[in-house]
Amino acid sequence: MKEARVIMDTGAHAAALAVKSARVDVVPGYPITPQSSIMEAVAAMVENGELDARFIPVEGEHSTLAAAVAAAAAGARVFTATSSNGLLYMHEVLHMAAGGRLPVVMCNVNRGIFAPWTLWADQQDSFAQRDTGWIQYHCSSNQEVFNTILQAFRVAEQINIPVMVNFDGFTISHCLMPLTLPPQEDIDRFLPPHKPEWRLDPAHPSSFSNVTNAAEYAPFRQMLSSDIMASIPLVKQAAQEYKDITGMWDGDTIDAYRLEDAEVVAFAVNSMAAELRLSIDILREQGIKAGLLRLRLYLPFPADDIVSALPQNAQVMVLDRNYNFGHPGGILAAELKSVLFGRRSDITVKNRVMGIGGVDLTRRYMAAEIRAMMDE
Amino acid sequence: MLELRINGFGGQGSVTLAHLLAQAALENGEQGQALPFFGVERRGAPVRAAVRMSPTAIHAHSQCELPDYVVVMSEKLTAAAVSEGIAENGAVIINAPHAAAVEKRPTWQVDADAIAREAGLFSADGLFINIPLFGAVCRVLNIPQNIMEQTILHKWPGKNGERNLDAAARAYNTVKQISV
Repeated sequence: MKEARVIMDTGAHAAALAVKSARVDVVPGYPITPQSSIMEAVAAMVENGELDARFIPVEGEHSTLAAAVAAAAAGARVFTATSSNGLLYMHEVLHMAAGGRLPVVMCNVNRGIFAPWTLWADQQDSFAQRDTGWIQYHCSSNQEVFNTILQAFRVAEQINIPVMVNFDGFTISHCLMPLTLPPQEDIDRFLPPHKPEWRLDPAHPSSFSNVTNAAEYAPFRQMLSSDIMASIPLVKQAAQEYKDITGMWDGDTIDAYRLEDAEVVAFAVNSMAAELRLSIDILREQGIKAGLLRLRLYLPFPADDIVSALPQNAQVMVLDRNYNFGHPGGILAAELKSVLFGRRSDITVKNRVMGIGGVDLTRRYMAAEIRAMMDE
Repeated sequence: MLELRINGFGGQGSVTLAHLLAQAALENGEQGQALPFFGVERRGAPVRAAVRMSPTAIHAHSQCELPDYVVVMSEKLTAAAVSEGIAENGAVIINAPHAAAVEKRPTWQVDADAIAREAGLFSADGLFINIPLFGAVCRVLNIPQNIMEQTILHKWPGKNGERNLDAAARAYNTVKQISV
């Protein structure tokens, strides 16, 4: 039996290697910083024959996702990637991919939104796509990016819903870290070839996404809503079976650290949630019973898992790297409060916005912020 | 966990130096991380990169605010680099022909410019000082010379690797501590 291999590579290249391991058929692409190095790596793999896929360069992100939608409707396994304003430019077609029940997998390399221009990470871009009907993972390490893309294809193709795999620009995409590559035969066992139930085929003409009347439209939308909720057990199953095959585990819908006896719980996503483990250690050394609940699946929001994971009477410190305009604070805090309402009256939720546009979030800074929030 | 910050000028090869050090950690049986800070890059502008080495998994993803070592690619940057932040007992490694010790800090000096020039490691754009600096930092961190060599050959298999090996070995053996 072949052994796993450990290499040093960036988060962007980890994504490209996962695309190769997933044996993707079609990759439409348009470059945007900091996503470009994913597309450069995938294009090179196609060019040198490492990946037997069609790479489609297009003139903008709206067309990128339109090409992805068309290829997925033709039955292909499709990947693409974008960032920030590129994701916003795709917004209309995001709805089409989800409503059309097309299992596209896309990486969004989180980057703050124009205006003014910024190149660095926050989560305004991905959270702003909440209502498009995509499943959304948020990753906190290079390894998790690799692992999650494979899990995303499995979930997407099981339930015919597109999946967005998010991770931070630069702090993950351009960070060189050890990366474990499982043997290809293990990945093939985890992710068998895509067998769509239906596809557009010129030999058997059919129509797709016609105008519908309310009597047809409403059930389609209802089905999308309930199927998104039904993806939670599939997300868990994918994480568990991936672990059984490769031995690697990044959590399923959530990921916990020193949570069992915690009185103060940090709640966050992405690379800042990795750094927060060190903040938790600092707080523990100061005698504070601190723990971390990292949200891995942002959409569907895993209400039951969060409600049952939070220790009794915990103070939850939500650290948002985004704004919930029109409300004080950030989007994760609002989402969390909505699932706790009526279910966990023992929990206190406090919230701060930080790290916008890549402001560096160090372990010491976040530990100090959490301490200050305790006195509020 | 050991933390380093590289301070240099755009075009001096700080990112490659960071990558080599992270790779050396892996070759040495540890975990490594290279996290360059990407700005709107211009040749000649000040740049920095974070490097971490640890026997256990690395979760940090911030820039190194209080590193154990500051690696200064050009002595013009020494004061600015140290004032950006360094650990209480942090040390400084400076590329200079004859560096002055940084006050109250262990200071190491290596003449990476001279070594690169003598080894023929240059192009029209300038000297490849990151290769000798890699050798010097490996020596300061007590990374065995064979691990250093293995890392260079992993990055540049063949003829280029061998030229780089000589320059890195010279720096490994001539870097000296000028204050403790």
